[in-house]
Amino acid sequence: MRNVLVTGGSRGLGLGIARRLTAAGYRVIAVARKESPQLTSAMEEAEGAHPGSLRFVACDLAEIDDLPALVTTVRKDVGPIYGLVNNAAVGFDGVLALMPTSQIAQLVRVNTLAPIVLTKYVVRAMLADGGGRIVNVASIVGFTGYRGLSVYGATKASLLGFTRSLAREVGGMGVTVNAVAPGFLDTEMTQGLDGAQREQIARRSALRRLPDIDDVASTVEFLLGDQAKSITGTVLTVDAGSTA
Amino acid sequence: MSVRASVLAQFERVAQEQKKTLAPLTDDLVLLESGLDSLCLAIIVAQLEDALGVDPFSAAEDAEFPVTLGDFIELYEHAAP
Repeated sequence: MRNVLVTGGSRGLGLGIARRLTAAGYRVIAVARKESPQLTSAMEEAEGAHPGSLRFVACDLAEIDDLPALVTTVRKDVGPIYGLVNNAAVGFDGVLALMPTSQIAQLVRVNTLAPIVLTKYVVRAMLADGGGRIVNVASIVGFTGYRGLSVYGATKASLLGFTRSLAREVGGMGVTVNAVAPGFLDTEMTQGLDGAQREQIARRSALRRLPDIDDVASTVEFLLGDQAKSITGTVLTVDAGSTA
Repeated sequence: MSVRASVLAQFERVAQEQKKTLAPLTDDLVLLESGLDSLCLAIIVAQLEDALGVDPFSAAEDAEFPVTLGDFIELYEHAAP
């Protein structure tokens, strides 16, 4: 069974990715601060179909110093890590001019610094193991503008640059690095959008709707799979044509 | 196996796996002139962590990467397991 680490795997998109990958035959290690009731029931479901295929590891990714030990522990418990999905993120919105500096720092810490440092430790093991897959969950906000999301957008754009250069660095050793850029999804992170804003985004997209979690999760599954062996350093946008 | 022997064994193993020609492994050998590139050195660090249970580059806040093979071995010899 191939092991895949999914950060932010207890809720929203991360949980959707964990469910999807588990069903596809991977062993998923969902990393989050706390085990959510939704994750508990997903683990129970997975236990029936594929025993041991969905596990939870508690870790606050903002605690950067804890990341090396997280990777060591996971490798000790389940063996080599085949895939890493950097999905965990915070989505504070607000105009930059009024955003507390502590919140700006937290956005950069959780959305940029944590995935980069976590990838450092995971990719090192992948190099030694002879290959692996890294998928970074970015956002269309990384390349288009939305009022109130300048810092969030900056962190997501940072993942795109990280993806391209790291792909060059580790490609020769059999590791692929790609990004997925979802459009607005219906998750807790977008609860700040009211119904009218949601409708407006849907109306303006090519497909006249929002993408759903499974659209994005299946794209992550594709990038982890054997069909994507020749894809690296790229970004797959899943936004129902919002940015088309 | 001593720490020194483990380190030297990893250099030889990675050179062989990556099809690199290794310079004679003396203490004053400059790592970047050893025939291995920085990615190979990253693999050695990862494999030594598995073999010795220690990663001196994570333990120290701002550890500078050593210049010579002798410095590299010394770093591992002084790292607590």
